[in-house]
Amino acid sequence: MTTLRGTIAFRDIEFGVWVLQGEDGKTYQLAGGDRQLKKEGRRIEATGSIRKDLATAAMVGPVFHVDSYRFL
Amino acid sequence: MHPHPRSPAPSWRALALLACGLAACGAGMEAGDAASAPLSGSESVADPDLLAQAERTVVVDFVDGTTKAQFDSWEQAWGVDLEFNSEHGVVTGITIATGVENSEGLLRSLREHPAVESAEMLSVYSTRFEPNDPGFDRQWNLKMIDMPAAWEHNRGKGVVVAVIDTGIAYEDRGDFRRVPDLKGVRFVPGYDFVNDTPHANDDHGHGTHVAGTIAQATHNKLGVAGIAHEASLMPIKVLNHFGAGTSADIADAIRWAADHGAQVINLSLGGGMRSRVMEQAIAHARAKGVTVVAAAGNRGIGKVEFPAAYDGVIAVGAVGPDGQRAPYSSYGAALDLVAPGGNKSLGGDAGGVVQNTIDPRDPSRSIFGSYQGTSMATPHVAGVAALLYAAGANDPDEVERALIAGAKPMGGALRTDDHGHGLLNARGALEALQQTGKGKVNWSPLAWASVLLAGVLLTLRGRARPGYLNVLFGPRFLISLVLTTVGAFFLRWLGDGDTLNAASLPLPDLERIIFGRGRLANPLMYSALVPLLLSFAAIARKSLRPVVAGVSIGFAAMLAYAAWSGAPALAWLPFKALALPWLTVHAFICLFIGRAMLRREEGA
Repeated sequence: MTTLRGTIAFRDIEFGVWVLQGEDGKTYQLAGGDRQLKKEGRRIEATGSIRKDLATAAMVGPVFHVDSYRFL
Repeated sequence: MHPHPRSPAPSWRALALLACGLAACGAGMEAGDAASAPLSGSESVADPDLLAQAERTVVVDFVDGTTKAQFDSWEQAWGVDLEFNSEHGVVTGITIATGVENSEGLLRSLREHPAVESAEMLSVYSTRFEPNDPGFDRQWNLKMIDMPAAWEHNRGKGVVVAVIDTGIAYEDRGDFRRVPDLKGVRFVPGYDFVNDTPHANDDHGHGTHVAGTIAQATHNKLGVAGIAHEASLMPIKVLNHFGAGTSADIADAIRWAADHGAQVINLSLGGGMRSRVMEQAIAHARAKGVTVVAAAGNRGIGKVEFPAAYDGVIAVGAVGPDGQRAPYSSYGAALDLVAPGGNKSLGGDAGGVVQNTIDPRDPSRSIFGSYQGTSMATPHVAGVAALLYAAGANDPDEVERALIAGAKPMGGALRTDDHGHGLLNARGALEALQQTGKGKVNWSPLAWASVLLAGVLLTLRGRARPGYLNVLFGPRFLISLVLTTVGAFFLRWLGDGDTLNAASLPLPDLERIIFGRGRLANPLMYSALVPLLLSFAAIARKSLRPVVAGVSIGFAAMLAYAAWSGAPALAWLPFKALALPWLTVHAFICLFIGRAMLRREEGA
């Protein structure tokens, strides 16, 4: 389990991808959560797992699978 | 893919066409399909002088039977000097005038004349391949890598490219629909590692887009063009409907593709940790002669993603329509090349790469989507790699060398971390391959011949075995054997000219003087036909027998070597499955003829 803080953003790369611009300076490709999560520019704190075993078509950073989150 | 040295010069072809009759019935279908298309003035593909001249030349078609005296008397009023276009002008009524000023006004007054059937500006036609796909104009990416010139060489026929991705919208099955601009594209069986079925359909859209860049149906008056549009695609699904997949599935897929006949593997995916399993899968594919191409990644940082960063993988970054590295494109020491991947901050959708794919919101709907990413750059390299295999490259080393040698260096250096060895260029890569093929002699068929000869001698016992001094080491047998298997290799030592190169080809490849390197081999030449015909001649003249024996054993060696080296590219034989038995059976016939020629008759 990892807890991350950051800002939600949509990137027009490949087929379009939602990312978490983490306050640790890294970009995470978002997975899990629900569709309410897709709010451009909102800051969140989320708990979930970083899936280092996954490769993606978007290639914007490691996949962060969100289990729970709250807007800040 | 084809194992022999090659490189006849185009200028030689016409000459040799007259001389060489046998092969002419063969590979002509390959060369015949280049379309004749009018060129617009802005496309500097034809002779620029001719185009400049065309801008000031009008064509006037008079009513049939109009004489020169008649239009000579009218041309004063028009202010032009008309001449018949050919000696048949008297019949056809077609005339031209050069050096025309104010063509608009001239055409208007010409058309008003009752004897003029039609009048128009001259168009220059070329046999250069210009796809008629309506969206081709938007494909800045294909022009950037010189595709129109590269299509003159070949279009990837006979090569299998595996697209390991989200699948491909390639068949109508259940909810899935094939996208219209993949109609007519060849597919070989693939696999869906996500859902464990043989039907790797696309439920995302990414893989179909990538596949389109490699082999979109081209010159079909629909949609857009693809690079190696005569190649076969192998659809493999490892990324789920969110576009994510595991290293285990990807490694599995790489091995599966390599074991099922893929020659190029496209990996427009990346991320995750270093995986020993995937690294070994890539080594396995490379050892089997497969070129693996992967995306550098879209993080825009100085670190290339896995699998692109593994040894043995060609790592591809992206440039926009301005030819500069796109801001998202990752870079670093592992980067090999850059290719067009789009930059939508330059001109929006016009700055992306357009291909036919499925609507991400409704997978049964077809769209022409413009996307940007290193995923879009990667299939450009995979497509050109397919052209290189079709042009005669045998292994990933040769492909990689040609890609790098043909690339346009960027950033003022041969290699930079931003751009690798430079910007992919399809024409440059094909020409580089041609250069490396020159002066190189392939001795393998001769080695095969020695082994086969030893085998044949083992079956000839006692008195039937031919004498060593008078036959096997005699000039008639040896010279014909060498000419058949490696050609007049010594000619290559005299110089590097195209003519010398062409003349020095092994006997079964001589027909390539006409059809050019990279064309598929002619099954008639790669058969027992020539030894068989020669053996008839030897019935009457016994002194010819050692010559025919040398040619026959040589042909057997060439056929066996072609079969052994895998993926024999024979024209008109539609499946590799047919080519292999063809080569094998004919190799045995050649051996049989050779044995009969060597056999010393009882009591002789």
